[in-house]
Amino acid sequence: MKRFEEIPHTADWSFRVFGRDMRELFENAAHAIFALEGARARPEASETQREVRVTALDYESLLVNWLTELLWLQESHREMYHRFDITLLTPTELRACVFGAPFSQVDKIIKAVTYHNLSIQQTTDGWEAVVVVDV
Amino acid sequence: MITKQNLERISDCVYQVPQNFRGDMRVPARLYASEELLEDALQDESVTQLVNTATLPGIVQYAIAMPDIHQGYGFPIGGVVATRAPDGVISPGGVGYDINCGVRLLASHLHVDEIAPRIKDLATALYKNCPSGVGSEGSVPLNAQQLDAVLEQGAEWALKNGYARREDLERTEEFGRISGADANAVSKRAKERGREQLGTLGAGNHFIEVDQVAEVYDAKIAERLGLFPGQIVVQIHCGSRGLGHQVCTDYVNDFQRAVREYKIELPDRELVCAPLDSPEGQAYFKAMAASANFAFANRQVLAYHARRSFEEVLAGDVKNFDLFQIYDIAHNIAKIEEHEVAGKRVRVCVHRKGATRAFGPGATVLPDDLRDIGQPVLIPGSMGTASYVLIGTAKAMAETFGSTCHGAGRVFSRAKAKKSVRGETLRNELEARGIAVRAGSMAGLAEEAPQAYKDVSRVVEVVHRVGIGRKVARLEPLAVIKG
Repeated sequence: MKRFEEIPHTADWSFRVFGRDMRELFENAAHAIFALEGARARPEASETQREVRVTALDYESLLVNWLTELLWLQESHREMYHRFDITLLTPTELRACVFGAPFSQVDKIIKAVTYHNLSIQQTTDGWEAVVVVDV
Repeated sequence: MITKQNLERISDCVYQVPQNFRGDMRVPARLYASEELLEDALQDESVTQLVNTATLPGIVQYAIAMPDIHQGYGFPIGGVVATRAPDGVISPGGVGYDINCGVRLLASHLHVDEIAPRIKDLATALYKNCPSGVGSEGSVPLNAQQLDAVLEQGAEWALKNGYARREDLERTEEFGRISGADANAVSKRAKERGREQLGTLGAGNHFIEVDQVAEVYDAKIAERLGLFPGQIVVQIHCGSRGLGHQVCTDYVNDFQRAVREYKIELPDRELVCAPLDSPEGQAYFKAMAASANFAFANRQVLAYHARRSFEEVLAGDVKNFDLFQIYDIAHNIAKIEEHEVAGKRVRVCVHRKGATRAFGPGATVLPDDLRDIGQPVLIPGSMGTASYVLIGTAKAMAETFGSTCHGAGRVFSRAKAKKSVRGETLRNELEARGIAVRAGSMAGLAEEAPQAYKDVSRVVEVVHRVGIGRKVARLEPLAVIKG
């Protein structure tokens, strides 16, 4: 199963993300943002690890807050992340341990994750979400 | 999808989606566009997004789209929405993530012929002195108290600290300081992001350009503003950086709860809003105003660096290398203003998202020396293309809450731009046309390729023809500096 696909959007970026279950959907959304940014880790860098906890009103806002939190970690530590172990996922709370490394290059920084046309839907293969980000 | 059949033609270049098009619309949705630009707008979700904004509680008269309208998230880019104050709503999405993204125009006393061989050196000096690109850190690191002062005082802080002249503030929208700003309404995280970003350009579509005045359309107004043909001028296009992005993120998130509390039904969650007079609405207004002040100070510090760069390169070669300010405008902002609607003066909260204030002659908020001619309006083009200086009009006051367009407007996606244009090729093309390019990222450069945008001249032609902005001068680029 592919993790995500880019959807054409005139001014910003939009992507559809897939997951066999909700946890995988959230993990793949995280992979999508760093892939879209063209983030590359510094080759010799050693792995870093960060704890994440976010809360929200529902799964949709939880997805926005989760991705927003990762972008915040990226900016404040100048890191990119490549592994996401979600240890708790309810409609209102997410806890995870994320693994990454300092980045050497980013093509384009995502400014923000929006709620525009945000939807999480069940499909025959699992779950699917559409996310629009401001760049 | 909305089609041409859903639109009524009101007059030349003015179209309207009637209020009965959708049951949740509170007012009609009006578009300013030529036939050709209308076709562009109908190709994506822009007009649906415009119609969505017509559902906001308290919206007055109509939702407005400028000819540079393009698809955004929630609100379209190129939109104007005025809501009744104080009981109508304010929407963080109606301002956007880059709060007070805007443009500043500085002018020299030099003719292009005097310094043509030095343009490349100016480009290099500007690139070196104005930090740009992803994660760029500013030249003015701030401690917590200093940042709070910037947030509450805007360009006045820059004046007190030696980065501005009194005349710069006179020639800045709101004199570079929006009242009602409160640093306490800005989150710790937003402040942390802003602390090292004052005096930075950032990335994306932000730029500094050295231009020449290529054509003057209104000699009298141009002379009053200090513009002449062949003149070297500098444009600075940027906003409130990570601080503004975080403020918008924080409040769009908070307002998800507020819409439930105030029982506001919306077609898109990015349109979340709260009554202006509610605690949530007030908190956002204070934080938005603080971010706008940060952006005014940011462009002011960049203007200081631009002056320094001119001095570095030109001192000794020319007698007068000074840069004076023509004007500074915001094109992502919400303002409390008074306008006449159906013969009555009303207080409204005007959301301009990718739209520029264009106050006409007589506006009392303008400085004395501009009041009889109206407000200068700055319309940056896409990279490598023309930009325009317009002047505000009485028609804009009467029809569009004193607003006009803001730029070219995208027609195709960043991904498509990146696929069809290589950054290096684009740079070579621009340089072959005599435009010096200094850019941090070739991929970023490709995304901003002029082919991805509408022709700014066609956009400006519409607002000029309709009369919601009048052409004063056209600028052509000589050097482009990007992150």
